[in-house]
Amino acid sequence: MDSHEQHGHSGNTIHLPAPTAWPIVLAFGATLIFAGLVTHVVVSILGAVLVVTACAGWFRQVLPHEAHEDVPVEAHEITIESERTHVTRIEIKEEHRAHLPLETYPVLSGLKGGIAGGIAMLVPALLYGIIGFHSIWYPVNLLGGAGVAHWTNPTTAQIAAFHPQALVIAIIIHATASILVGLLYGAMLPMLPRHPIILGGIIAPLLWTGLLHASLGIINPAFDERIQWGWFLTSQITYGLVAGWVVAHQSRIRTTQSLPFVMRMGIEASGLHSEEGEDHRQ
Amino acid sequence: MADSTFPVPGALEAAPHGRRWSQAAFLAWLHDWVVTVDHKKLGILYMLYSIFFLLVGGVEAILIRIQLVRPDMHFLSPWVFNRVFTMHGTTMVFLVGMTYIFGFANYLVPLMVGARDMAFPRLNALSFWLTFFGGILLYYSFIGGYGLYGASSAPDTMWWAYSPLTERAFSPGHAPDYWALSLIVTGFGTIGASINVIATALCLRCKGMTLMRLPLFVWLNVVTSFLALLAITPLTAAQVMLLIDRYLGGHFFDTQAGGSALIWAHFFWIFGHPEVYVLVLPAFAIANEVIPVFSRKAIFGYPAMAAASVGIAFVSLGVWAHHMFTIGMTSVGNTFFVLSTMLVGIPTGIKIFNWVATMWGGKIRFATPMLFCTAFLFQFLIAGLTGIILSVAPWNWQLHNSYFVIAHFHYVLVGAIVFCIFAGIYYWYPKVTGRMLSEKLGKWHFWLFVIGFHVSFDTMHVLGILGMPRSIFTYEADRGWAPWNFVVSIGGFIQAIAVLVFAFNLVHSYFKGRVAGNDPWDAWTLEWATPSPPPAYNFAEDPVVTSRRPLWDIKHPEDPDWRYE
Repeated sequence: MDSHEQHGHSGNTIHLPAPTAWPIVLAFGATLIFAGLVTHVVVSILGAVLVVTACAGWFRQVLPHEAHEDVPVEAHEITIESERTHVTRIEIKEEHRAHLPLETYPVLSGLKGGIAGGIAMLVPALLYGIIGFHSIWYPVNLLGGAGVAHWTNPTTAQIAAFHPQALVIAIIIHATASILVGLLYGAMLPMLPRHPIILGGIIAPLLWTGLLHASLGIINPAFDERIQWGWFLTSQITYGLVAGWVVAHQSRIRTTQSLPFVMRMGIEASGLHSEEGEDHRQ
Repeated sequence: MADSTFPVPGALEAAPHGRRWSQAAFLAWLHDWVVTVDHKKLGILYMLYSIFFLLVGGVEAILIRIQLVRPDMHFLSPWVFNRVFTMHGTTMVFLVGMTYIFGFANYLVPLMVGARDMAFPRLNALSFWLTFFGGILLYYSFIGGYGLYGASSAPDTMWWAYSPLTERAFSPGHAPDYWALSLIVTGFGTIGASINVIATALCLRCKGMTLMRLPLFVWLNVVTSFLALLAITPLTAAQVMLLIDRYLGGHFFDTQAGGSALIWAHFFWIFGHPEVYVLVLPAFAIANEVIPVFSRKAIFGYPAMAAASVGIAFVSLGVWAHHMFTIGMTSVGNTFFVLSTMLVGIPTGIKIFNWVATMWGGKIRFATPMLFCTAFLFQFLIAGLTGIILSVAPWNWQLHNSYFVIAHFHYVLVGAIVFCIFAGIYYWYPKVTGRMLSEKLGKWHFWLFVIGFHVSFDTMHVLGILGMPRSIFTYEADRGWAPWNFVVSIGGFIQAIAVLVFAFNLVHSYFKGRVAGNDPWDAWTLEWATPSPPPAYNFAEDPVVTSRRPLWDIKHPEDPDWRYE
């Protein structure tokens, strides 16, 4: 390896590795060896000769002593200065706290909100099943139908019937989604400006319902054919309002945002202590 | 050692020894470049090679877009279309993407760490020439690929070369052989260059340049090089296995004789997905230098940026099978690769947030390099979001092998990588040549390219959702794809015009550009402390640094960075 010492000074010159043709000869020879496999064996033989020659030439250039050339040092005028000499520090104003809340809800509040919202949205969902299909199992099977392995194009009567596997799958999907979205609410509501219930309870369900409306045909065409978007939206808004209300009515806890970063990280750093005596680093 | 200016005739006039433009002088000049082991010259050669093949790959893209501009077109035959399609992908990934990395790394890593050359200068030259001849061998297939049977020409099995299509029964002649052999040769070059970058960054740092003071550009190139070493190996192994199948009667991928096509897919994508990060991390490296300098602020969250780069590289080694959701894996396999793919979003998100935080509150100068980096931020975010969409297995089942996937990876490869390459060229061109690129032409280039890019690739997402499969050479008029394809092709032409403006700017500014001086951007890393272009030895004296921004410390002695690091 060439070290700084090998690239060193000698009077007004600097030692640098000498230019050499052997790398290009070696590369050409190696390529010809491969090219011969798809052209003619003579090409590979020529490549092998070049590789051996290049290796010999290369070794002779670095053994026992590496060939180098002395490059004369030229005087260059280098100016390292900036026209912008004034340094300004960014001041963090208090309104930036709007995005980094000083107080937030505990994790448990999101869990409670998610469970409450999940239970509340059962009401419109089951109403939809009873009014539309005279069966509470219809919405359950729509959600958990993927768990009924033998179903391929089920009839409406089949979907309206009770299927224990679909019930289990539906409960898992519903509980998981409700709790996860509830946790998201717990984290996000303190950051939403002004009317968190309207944003979290109505606007957000509207947005994700719109997203699903646009994409469900691709994700699950069978489900897309049967879904009633009015009822779906009603159940989502019910969830959003109840989960948001439960979260918003939990007591808040202080975050560590008001503390300096280094204290939050629990490390010692410049800025916390006197910088006197640091000049030795120069 | 000769001067390190561009290898164009104008360099002769600029040469210090007053050579005249004659055959002898030309040969002497050519000899200098052929036998050079100087990292700067090799970096320039890598970049010229990359730009040349960018133009070649661009021409192939235009041919594809002409063929698809209307339904039932026969501008190209299906066979020629397959070759052009394959060569476009192979060229852009292996001959453009892989070489721009080492172009920038070769030129800049030694300068940034305060070294006089790469750790292994002769290996450096060997690596470049292997890459060079590998590319020549690949393109020689257009005239030499007929082989024994008169069948086939250039490779036509797409850049991923899925088995069993590449077996002799389905691909007689030598097209797949040229593909495999040429990439084995360029792969050796990549391995040599990667070893060199790692050794240089770790062993040749100047005094005071601790790992936590390395410019992020160097950090990311080290990570890239480690990743390249890990990624290239399985590809080379698979290509050797393919050749054994084709010539020595092996059955690795021969499904008629107990082999498995699935093994090829695994081998290829174990290389293929880390490869995306091998290509994009150096683009991030460029953004890491450009964004702070043009925001006039230090990079936000340096340790997090370095850690996120390592994190991306680590996670990227475990996501390959998200290219294979439709092949039919187990639920456990699908779930693992869905989750691991989503995991990449975390370190990538850290980077995007940190770039935005670097710009926040800064006095931003929208010079051409910064324009390209700003567009990169938006486009890479969208590319990441469509990546998350595609990481969800059920979505992927619907959209796989559609133009949605093409749109997604062109958002990464063009929207992120090519934009950053342009940013890097505009940023460091003054250092390499001593002259500024024209800002006026640069802005024309930027706006044409950004408009063309969005016209093409935003529209391509729609084509994918409408169900247009990739790789088809034409389509019927009743599919509803015609107007969208027309728009995509128009965008392609706009991008081509932008690239021509760029090429003109490169040449024109070399002769007529404003003299740059050593530090035209008021930047902070060590390369700007050398003349433009730097002398062969880079630094007359070994530099000593005390912070991550050594030039800032010199320019602002009253407020040096080392107080805060």
